[in-house]
Amino acid sequence: MPGAPIPPEIARLERPREELLTWYFLKALATLFAFPVTMVVLYFRYHTMRYKFDEEGIHLSWGILMRHEIMLNYSRIQDIQLHSNVIERWLGLTRIEVQTAAGASDSEMTLEGLPNPEAMRDFLYSRMRGAHTGPPAPSNAAPETLETIFLQVASELRSIREILETRKA
Amino acid sequence: MYSWLQHKILDLMKVPPEPQPPDGSAGSARVFRSGSNYYRWRMALWFASNFGALILLAVVWSILARPIRVGTPWSRFIAEVLMSVVVTAFLVSAAFTFLQQRMNYELRWYVVTDRCLRVRSGILNVHEITTTFANIQEVRLSAGPLQKVLGLADVEVHSAGGGSGKGSSGSHVARFEGVDNASEIRDFILARLRQYRDSGLGEKDHSSPVAFSDGSQAAAQAILTEARALRAALAQR
Repeated sequence: MPGAPIPPEIARLERPREELLTWYFLKALATLFAFPVTMVVLYFRYHTMRYKFDEEGIHLSWGILMRHEIMLNYSRIQDIQLHSNVIERWLGLTRIEVQTAAGASDSEMTLEGLPNPEAMRDFLYSRMRGAHTGPPAPSNAAPETLETIFLQVASELRSIREILETRKA
Repeated sequence: MYSWLQHKILDLMKVPPEPQPPDGSAGSARVFRSGSNYYRWRMALWFASNFGALILLAVVWSILARPIRVGTPWSRFIAEVLMSVVVTAFLVSAAFTFLQQRMNYELRWYVVTDRCLRVRSGILNVHEITTTFANIQEVRLSAGPLQKVLGLADVEVHSAGGGSGKGSSGSHVARFEGVDNASEIRDFILARLRQYRDSGLGEKDHSSPVAFSDGSQAAAQAILTEARALRAALAQR
């Protein structure tokens, strides 16, 4: 529910899991000769990564030299994607990619190393636009629109006037 | 035998089980699956790509065969080792992708509820996308000539955003791949989409003001009951 408080286990989240560093190590290994550079970058990315889930949205920040901070409103989420390859799943990791309608071709925010990605997905889904307002009731099921009510009021008043007129006569 | 092997492989790869429909939409979930011809389609793709790789290998082999025959024994040895490595890699990947096709066909779920979509696919790379009808921008239907023969089509549901042309892995797209009842699915989604007036971005032009608060309607209702009571009181006198 949009107004409901954040579940404590999600409000408490701040740091990614340690397995993420293992995954970053393997990811850096895959770059072969660039390993020292990518490893340093990813190491600091891991150690400076901070999450914050508050009433309005998600805050994510990382980086020392290149400082990044992203703030994303729950109601602006377009879709939620879960990605995981075999190695990530062995480490118990799943990436959650959250997309908004901003023009970036890649996902706006990638939430890595969260302890319970499925629960996080359900939480984000519950805050998305359109997750709670089901399809509105078909309009012909409720014919009592403002217009018809006013017409009925007018006809009532007319008959009152007629009663009064006949009495006067 | 096959199901046992599949179970083992999925266990080893830690592939998550069948997706659950998202919360808050009881009983409205409908799960679509790929059509049975989709497996044949995937096998055709597999055959085509491996056949292409085989031809490429044969061409490389025939080009290198002459220089190797006239070359020194040492270069000949290196070439033969390289060639055998490439051939082994080809065979292993062909066998693995062959096994993968069936699982890829079976492990696909397209869930549609009254307010959202969830599409799950993949074995090695598991991908799941969830989006609500309120965010859907367009629905596309596409089928190639061979897919048409097999009675298959892809339904793509796009949400807003700059999904670049990255093909099947493009973001912002929920792909109902290889379904044999594509037009039914499209109509199903469009029928549910129609119930949302404010779906996607942008305002829709309303020819008549439909929206008013519940309060004003209640107030009007109160005036009506009062007028009725007044008339009844007058008529009685």
